[in-house]
Amino acid sequence: MNKIVALMKKDIKLLFRDKMAVFFTFVFPLVFAFIFGSIFSGDGGGSKALKVAVVDLDQTEQSQQFVKSIEEADEFTVTLTSEEKAKDLVRRGKRVAYFILPEGFGEDYKGVFSGSPPEILVGIDPSRTAEAGYLEGSLMKLGINRFEQAFSNPAAMTEQLDASIAQIEESDDIPQEWKSLLNDYLPKMKELTELDMGSEEGFGFGDDGEANPMMPLKVTKQEEVVQRSGPKNAFSITIPQGAIWAIMGCVIGFAISLVQEKTLGTMNRLIVAPISRTQIVAGKALGCFTAQIAVVALLFLVAYFILGVRFNFPKLVLAAVASGVCFVGLMMFFASLAKTERSVAGITNAFLLMMGMVGGAMIPLFVMPGWMQAISNFSPVKWAIVAFEGAIWRNFSYTEMMTPVLILVSIGVVAFILGTRMVKLEEA
Amino acid sequence: MIQVESLNKRFGNIHAVRDVSLKIHPGQIFGLLGPNGAGKSTSISMMTGLIDADSGSVSLSGLKPQSKEARHKIGLIPQSIALYEELTATDNLSFFASLYDIPKNQLQSRMDWALDFVGLKDRATDRVSGFSGGMKRRLNLAASLLHDPDFIFMDEPTAGVDPQSRNKLFDNVLELKELGKTIIYTTHYMEEAQKLCDQVGIIDHGELLALGTVGELLKQHGGDTQVSISSDRGVKEFKSSDVSNDLIQALQTSDKVYDISVNSPDLEAVFLNLTGRQLRD
Repeated sequence: MNKIVALMKKDIKLLFRDKMAVFFTFVFPLVFAFIFGSIFSGDGGGSKALKVAVVDLDQTEQSQQFVKSIEEADEFTVTLTSEEKAKDLVRRGKRVAYFILPEGFGEDYKGVFSGSPPEILVGIDPSRTAEAGYLEGSLMKLGINRFEQAFSNPAAMTEQLDASIAQIEESDDIPQEWKSLLNDYLPKMKELTELDMGSEEGFGFGDDGEANPMMPLKVTKQEEVVQRSGPKNAFSITIPQGAIWAIMGCVIGFAISLVQEKTLGTMNRLIVAPISRTQIVAGKALGCFTAQIAVVALLFLVAYFILGVRFNFPKLVLAAVASGVCFVGLMMFFASLAKTERSVAGITNAFLLMMGMVGGAMIPLFVMPGWMQAISNFSPVKWAIVAFEGAIWRNFSYTEMMTPVLILVSIGVVAFILGTRMVKLEEA
Repeated sequence: MIQVESLNKRFGNIHAVRDVSLKIHPGQIFGLLGPNGAGKSTSISMMTGLIDADSGSVSLSGLKPQSKEARHKIGLIPQSIALYEELTATDNLSFFASLYDIPKNQLQSRMDWALDFVGLKDRATDRVSGFSGGMKRRLNLAASLLHDPDFIFMDEPTAGVDPQSRNKLFDNVLELKELGKTIIYTTHYMEEAQKLCDQVGIIDHGELLALGTVGELLKQHGGDTQVSISSDRGVKEFKSSDVSNDLIQALQTSDKVYDISVNSPDLEAVFLNLTGRQLRD
């Protein structure tokens, strides 16, 4: 074991002697996480065809009509499901949001000048705060369809009423009984509208507008979902991405260093020393693993103390170890494929960049087209991010953590076995 | 003793080493002399257990080179500078020493000895990347001596070395011999083999063409000595297998001798006679 540790210590020492390697392994991921975290903390704009889960608890003609309008809207891709399933889908990041149409929705939907606006319960994936405004706006647009356009605008409605009253007064064609009836009804309606316009609680979206039937919809956010599992800030999303970049940096660095041992001839020294091939490989793997854990630890320390990211420590350790195993295996596999530093750098960079792109290390998965999201399941990067997010804000149970963890460990073990079998240490 | 029996190694269609057999006695410096690509490094690689032979065997004091016990006895100085350039000389030695179970209380003294031995004690804390080619070669040697090996395999140790470092390395080789080490020294410089080696094997195209002491090789394969005498009778040039006798006879027949030139055969001539081409062709 001492020899394996000696090999590992030597590699870590070499890593720290290379300023560029230190930058790309330790500093760049932090910069990445910080910059992108800052960007996503602001209004990141919207996205089309958001995947949402819809629950119709009302099951009335009106609720079904509204669900149909959501399904037909370009903004949404809808999954009709149960309340429990919908919440679970959002919590696990499978859907951006859920909409629940509670009982009584249809009754309120019918009323225009009386009652409450129809309530819709919305739970939004905490990582999709950038799309929250867009999503709510899209819902309101659908809700507003229940009114005539004019009725949705009180000022326009008042104007229209004034014009109508004046027109009735001037008209000779309208029978007297009708005139009397309309002169009685329209000013009262105008008065009612003006009262609403003067009210501070009038038309604010998401404000206390329960009694205002003029509201197209009453959107009630399911706050407990956000508070329970959501990130405090966007760094909770970018820190796992930064960790992935750091891990990929370690993989590339150690794959190159393993090949370099052969080209430099230091591998020959190791082979003729009283140290087994297994110990040589284990030493290199331990070095790579240690570097990964070190950089992940650094990132999460910064995330915790400076960026305010909170996480479940045991689950984070689980995610870090599983990712470490996976990427050590991949490192060994890549090192076994190439004979020169240049070729191993090319192969590793190309593969990891591609995996990173489809796995969500660069572009968040939710903005990708569906087919690419399906492909992301083949990327270890995706599972590493899911594991880290599970420890941070997805509030995964240990059982749920097992899915990404087992996938990562399996990839790592298979790649490591293949790599150690294929690598020719004595090639130099 | 190092005993090599009928070693063979092929790389695809290339027969890199053909039926090489030799015996190297303890405390000897054995030179493996041949041009680039002759099979010297491949032979050393098989003798150190770095690569497996296709057939044949190697015994280091009765041990297979791949055995753990034998590995403690092997010191390999690779042809390349097998060092970590970004680490200091001490860091490099400390790492390689850690592979050999050297007791902690002896580690520092072994490193000090090795650095002193190659004349780099004052550069112990400097990074290798700042060393000259000759200094790197010397540290390359030091890194192989930390565990006090019995068998020292030096693969072209003076390649690309300045004259000062080369002389220092020669001194080191001779000192190691005095310490009782068995040294296997590959080179394509016949001067080095002639100067350092007790026994020389001449190898070309993977085949060991001749084996013996330098004197034996010169006698068997060097050819005659070239003698040139310039006298009042003119210039007389002849080949001689008995120089002193031939010279006496030549001088007796001349009144005035202006110049005598005697060119003894060297290992270059041996190689030329054995292969029909120059060693550096």
